[in-house]
Amino acid sequence: MIELNDIEKTYDGGSVSTPVLKGISFRVEKGEYVAIMGTSGTGKSTLMNIIGCLDKPTGGRYRLDNTDVVNLDDAALSRLRNRKLGFVFQQFNLLDRTTALKNVLLPLLYTDPYPADAAARAERSLKAVSLADRMQYKPGELSGGQQQRVAIARALITDPEVILADEPTGNLDRRSGLEVLAIFKRLHRDGRTIILVSHDQAVAEHADRIVILKDGRIAEDSRVKQPRDADAELASLAGEEKNQ
Amino acid sequence: MRIIRIAVEGARALTANKLRSFFMMAGTMTGIAALTVIMSAGEGTEQKVMQRMETFGTRAIMVTAGGGKGFSPPQEGVTTLTLSDADAIRNIVPEAEAISPAAVKHRMPVKAGDSQTQAAVFAAEPDWHEAWDWYVRDGEPVSSEDVATLARVVVLGSSTARDLFGERNPIGEYVQIGAVRFRVKGMLESRGTSPMGTDMDNRCIIPLTTGMRRLFNQDHISYVRIRLKDSRDLIPVGERIRELLRERHHITPPKEDDFSIVTASNIAAMVRGVSGTLTILLGALAGLSLIVGGVVLMNILLISVSERKREIGLRRAVGASRRDILVQFLTESLTVSILGMSAGCLLGMGLCLALMRLTPLPLSLSWEPVALGVAFASLVGTFFGIQPARKAAQLNPVEALR
Repeated sequence: MIELNDIEKTYDGGSVSTPVLKGISFRVEKGEYVAIMGTSGTGKSTLMNIIGCLDKPTGGRYRLDNTDVVNLDDAALSRLRNRKLGFVFQQFNLLDRTTALKNVLLPLLYTDPYPADAAARAERSLKAVSLADRMQYKPGELSGGQQQRVAIARALITDPEVILADEPTGNLDRRSGLEVLAIFKRLHRDGRTIILVSHDQAVAEHADRIVILKDGRIAEDSRVKQPRDADAELASLAGEEKNQ
Repeated sequence: MRIIRIAVEGARALTANKLRSFFMMAGTMTGIAALTVIMSAGEGTEQKVMQRMETFGTRAIMVTAGGGKGFSPPQEGVTTLTLSDADAIRNIVPEAEAISPAAVKHRMPVKAGDSQTQAAVFAAEPDWHEAWDWYVRDGEPVSSEDVATLARVVVLGSSTARDLFGERNPIGEYVQIGAVRFRVKGMLESRGTSPMGTDMDNRCIIPLTTGMRRLFNQDHISYVRIRLKDSRDLIPVGERIRELLRERHHITPPKEDDFSIVTASNIAAMVRGVSGTLTILLGALAGLSLIVGGVVLMNILLISVSERKREIGLRRAVGASRRDILVQFLTESLTVSILGMSAGCLLGMGLCLALMRLTPLPLSLSWEPVALGVAFASLVGTFFGIQPARKAAQLNPVEALR
């Protein structure tokens, strides 16, 4: 599905050039749930942006679904992002003054041809994140957790093969974070590929596999023996709250 | 279609921040409004010019006694223009359809029974009617015989006739002009008010000889009116007459003419003169305000692009290409320009209608400012929209999302 081969990224700041990624190679198979971890400044986000076709590597090869991405032009990359990738950001990035429904519909604006069942799809996406009853709400009228779920619904509407989530729980309280992770778990069970970036071990352990970046290189790439179960943790959290 | 969906998205963005959208279109609006008013004024002036020329006669030359620039009534004290001048003109202008010398007094007391009024008295030959293209409605015109016999007959303008006789038929009745009694033999067609505001129908036409010998007691005439077959001859014939008269009146440089020659084209130039320059000047100002409006539009858009970085980054992430972003922002600026243009047109037309009601300014609404407005607004919208739209499109999505 995703094939990174000796990816390098160097930021050219005039006289000083800063290497951020120094030869990253790994594969993500279809249906995998991978967390990319590392302390800040280790190039997690840069790597994510390259995987997300938002940024180009300065060296190496990247194949997404058997397409060589590095040589594609802007229009082709945009099409790829629209069709195959769904983004979930730390800051949700919803459009203000725009209803949840319209936010979810946004990616379809750039889909050719425009699907005839757009509204039904949006509804389905919102149902998948348990927000079918909040369709006409604007971001300001929703809680942070709900906003992030709208953002996930937005990522799902084009039925992408890969969900890219960059610190998706970073701005959420524990419960909302777990709710988001529970949704990811469900999506993973349904066969979707998920790549999650986090600096938080507890979050990363919800994935099946953890890739740890250190200083622009892969320091460790291992399977999680016992991935955490967001649903179970939510249940115990509910129990704790009851006891208090 | 994708481009239409995105264009709609761009236009819709304007409703999100209405105050900002208003400021974006304010410049275009005022510019177009001003342009509409100015062009209407220009059009109105042009119509006035045409009207003046029509009244004056599009193929007419007036040689009036007394020098000076501009089209003024013959100066009554000037005695240098004579009948033999008129004959000499007749000899050198074969292009003429009609030549009519006349002596004029602008205000004379005219009486009939107990009624009295003031009227302009024109002593003229039968050609007067043709030269002015102005004929007798009832009764008979002044004839060559009347001129030959110094007959005391008069043709009345409709206002004079009404002042003296009310609704009665004046033909066959007698009027007294100055100290001389005249028999009314005809009535002129009505011409209404001149563009200068005088009542054209308040006049009496009497035979030229009768006027000069019996009434005014003078040897000079006030003007010669020449009507040509073809308006293209106006200027050369005018020059020819000028040379003839300067020679006949022994005028050598640097002395000024003691007569003036006015043609339809002089009249047009005079009426247009000041207002034409003014129209151009004001038009340039309105154009300038459009450009200033465009610059304001551009700046607001540039600010808006910076403010909406995150939105742009997000759109790029979910699949918008550079071109999509460009189209979206360009539609935004075009829509705002066209909205401003429409509002400006309406505002300008409203202003025109108000000015027409409240002032005597000659204004005339026409489609040209609208067409020009559409063209200019699209141009401004594109020209000043392209830079911000480009900036938005070139934003690096990674940085935009940060």
